Amino acid sequence: MGVARLKKAELYYHKSVHEQIAAVLQETGACQIISTTENENSSSPAEIQALISSIDEKLADVRYLNRTLTPHYVDPIPALDRMLGERPEATMTELEELAKNTDLKSICDTVRAVEHETGEVRLKLSEAKLNDSILSSLAFLDYPLSIFTEGTKTLTALAGTVKPENLPGLKAALGDFSKLAHDTELIIAPFNEKEKPAEVYAVVIYSRSAESEVREALSKNGFSAVEIPASFALSASEEKEKITASILTLEAKEKELAAKMAELANANMLTVQKLSDYYNSLAGRYNGTAKSDATECAMLTKFWVPADMAGDIKAKIEAISPEIDLTLTDPEPGEEPPSLLNNGNLVRPFNILTELYSSPTYRGIDPTPLLAPFFWIFFGMCLGDAGYALVVFGAILYVFKKYKKISSGVKEFIKLFLFCSISTFIYGVISGSFFGNFIDSFLPFLIPLKNSLMLVDPMTNPMQVLGISLLLGVIHLMFGLLVAAYDKIRNKDFINAIGNDISWFLFIVGLCLFGVGLGGMLPAHFTDIGKVMAVLGAVIIFFYAGKEKKGIINKIISGFLALYGSTSYLGDILSYSRLLALGFGSAVIGMVINLLGGLAADIPYVGWLVAVVVIVGGHLFSIAINILGSFVHPLRLQYVEFFGKFYSGGGEPFTPMTLSQEYINVKA
Amino acid sequence: MEMLGLSLALFGAALAAALAGIGSAIGIGVAGGAAAGVMTEDPNKFGSCLILQALPGTQGIYGLLIAFFVLNKLGLLGGAGAVALTWNQGLQIFASCLPIAVVGWYSAIWQGKTSAASIQMISKKPEAMGKAIILPAMVETYAVLALLTSILMLMGVQVG
Repeated sequence: MGVARLKKAELYYHKSVHEQIAAVLQETGACQIISTTENENSSSPAEIQALISSIDEKLADVRYLNRTLTPHYVDPIPALDRMLGERPEATMTELEELAKNTDLKSICDTVRAVEHETGEVRLKLSEAKLNDSILSSLAFLDYPLSIFTEGTKTLTALAGTVKPENLPGLKAALGDFSKLAHDTELIIAPFNEKEKPAEVYAVVIYSRSAESEVREALSKNGFSAVEIPASFALSASEEKEKITASILTLEAKEKELAAKMAELANANMLTVQKLSDYYNSLAGRYNGTAKSDATECAMLTKFWVPADMAGDIKAKIEAISPEIDLTLTDPEPGEEPPSLLNNGNLVRPFNILTELYSSPTYRGIDPTPLLAPFFWIFFGMCLGDAGYALVVFGAILYVFKKYKKISSGVKEFIKLFLFCSISTFIYGVISGSFFGNFIDSFLPFLIPLKNSLMLVDPMTNPMQVLGISLLLGVIHLMFGLLVAAYDKIRNKDFINAIGNDISWFLFIVGLCLFGVGLGGMLPAHFTDIGKVMAVLGAVIIFFYAGKEKKGIINKIISGFLALYGSTSYLGDILSYSRLLALGFGSAVIGMVINLLGGLAADIPYVGWLVAVVVIVGGHLFSIAINILGSFVHPLRLQYVEFFGKFYSGGGEPFTPMTLSQEYINVKA
Repeated sequence: MEMLGLSLALFGAALAAALAGIGSAIGIGVAGGAAAGVMTEDPNKFGSCLILQALPGTQGIYGLLIAFFVLNKLGLLGGAGAVALTWNQGLQIFASCLPIAVVGWYSAIWQGKTSAASIQMISKKPEAMGKAIILPAMVETYAVLALLTSILMLMGVQVG
């Protein structure tokens, strides 16, 4: 239970076996390399640096292929199956063989060629489409387009756009040229005045001799020229036919290339994914051992290993070669080893909750077993429906039955919900909630059974459940204070344990006993015990707060301020009212769905069908949304209210060297 | 005048569903914008982004819940017909709807902003998902408290 004990291993070996050593260290998945290259006298072994750079070269190719081919690849394995471990399998030896027999360079060249050609085709296509749109706008022109590109001996032309309101000015300006015996003609594309287009196409044909004057007149009247591609010679409609034909060809070509890429992706993607895992594994492996210290022919690798696995690993390493020296030592007091949570089957699924917050330090307390029962109860109260619990439980059992290769991390997370569905079922039964009020609405013959099992009734007596919620809150918080006190006593910090934690424990528990005793729910002598505890607690808090202060006035002020801190405990305790509210929420949403289902059933003929859809769909939606709330809010109670009393984490999680398994299940 | 009570109660129910719903819509919208931005870089974050985006959606559901609660109390669901209500009772029901209407509206918007920031956070640090979920949940606390207040108030109001 708690944080796993680690051993520090110092491993001396000959360079000739460094590859086998690295492989064993990685494949056991339980060794976290300690960098020894930080001091100046040591140097990272050159052989390994060379290996890493050759692996990086391969990785660059693999990444290129992965990035380029993935958009063209349809994964035959559905995403959900993939997440649940249904992936191809391979051993490292098979992958090594595959790597040897795969010519990555030639695949890259093929893919690059197709990629390059696709780029060119796309460029041509966009050019052709642009020309096509210019031609559409010039359809009104009867002259061949060579008038723009070549012109005649004396004439040339410009095409462009102009705002309709500038047309009169433009016409007037060009009209002046005609009078001066220059041949100018302005042809305006036909347009509908009522539509008020922003600009219209216009073509000006003019004498070469008046080039500069014409251009000046055009620019003064807001004419912006459109460049006509030099290849245009025939009339607009003839050119358009040509362009349309070439667009069709280019589009066909683009499709053909996409198909080719998809074919390449289908043919190579599995290999690429396998090699990606292979080379990433190798890169991780040698980047790990590159942190070793090296002399000319020997190497020293240091690593952390869990104490219970150290013996196995030692045996495996010593089997490699006789010239190996492996010493295992306990961490020294000044050292801060990484932390690995080591909990039994029942608590392990809750590890993720601690890890999501922050790992404990190596010598700190692992809060997982402490929070697990509370999270379990709180989740149950928030979701709080026996029917929903059965659905979740059944779905998880189905997943476990169907998928046998789920990775351990995902499996533990799913198990968390399996466990919590049990507490949900229990709370659902004692609060009489089965798919909301499904029993009352549709299965009246079960009402006596439901009622006989009910212990609390949030619908008619919410104050009772509110009381239970707040009581659980007090227990949770007081438990947190006791853990904090235990942690301090463990470190021989008795004064702070009493002043910070035990004092508040006495004060609040005393107040509760006093209050409950006054309310007549407990025998009278509890009132007296409560009184004594509360006063004692308050006195300690009062004097402890002033112990560092100088002067009697300052001591008194800080004492009262500390007692005022009880408001924060009040806030903490009231925060647990969310247990009632969320449980209530699930029950009422369920009730609303049943009500809507009941109303839908009154629709003639198809009513029953609509009712089934509403009830099944509605409850599935309700399960999804309520699970989210039932996970988040109990988690907040752990992180903010509970951890606030004693836990701050801050440990570095244990990250051993492992095989990369992004796409396939790699076996050692 | 004899329908004034019923109208006031319905007005309250309408505010609860409408204001809390508007808040959730804005909150989810803000968070969704951030999520779309993050997913242009890394489409694999869809799952975690969706969870964070959904967080400000609960206020709308709380509002709906209170609205149904009121309708049920008034006997408007099912064929039984509305109960008789004095204007005083109607005003009491109206008041009961206010906590979730107002707090739901505002908290959903701010929760959406926090969710958006959390989504930005997991785009840089995917391993911080736990913290990213807790920050918006801190805001939601007040919506939960308002829901609780509305429920307790409604249960206390005597009608019929």
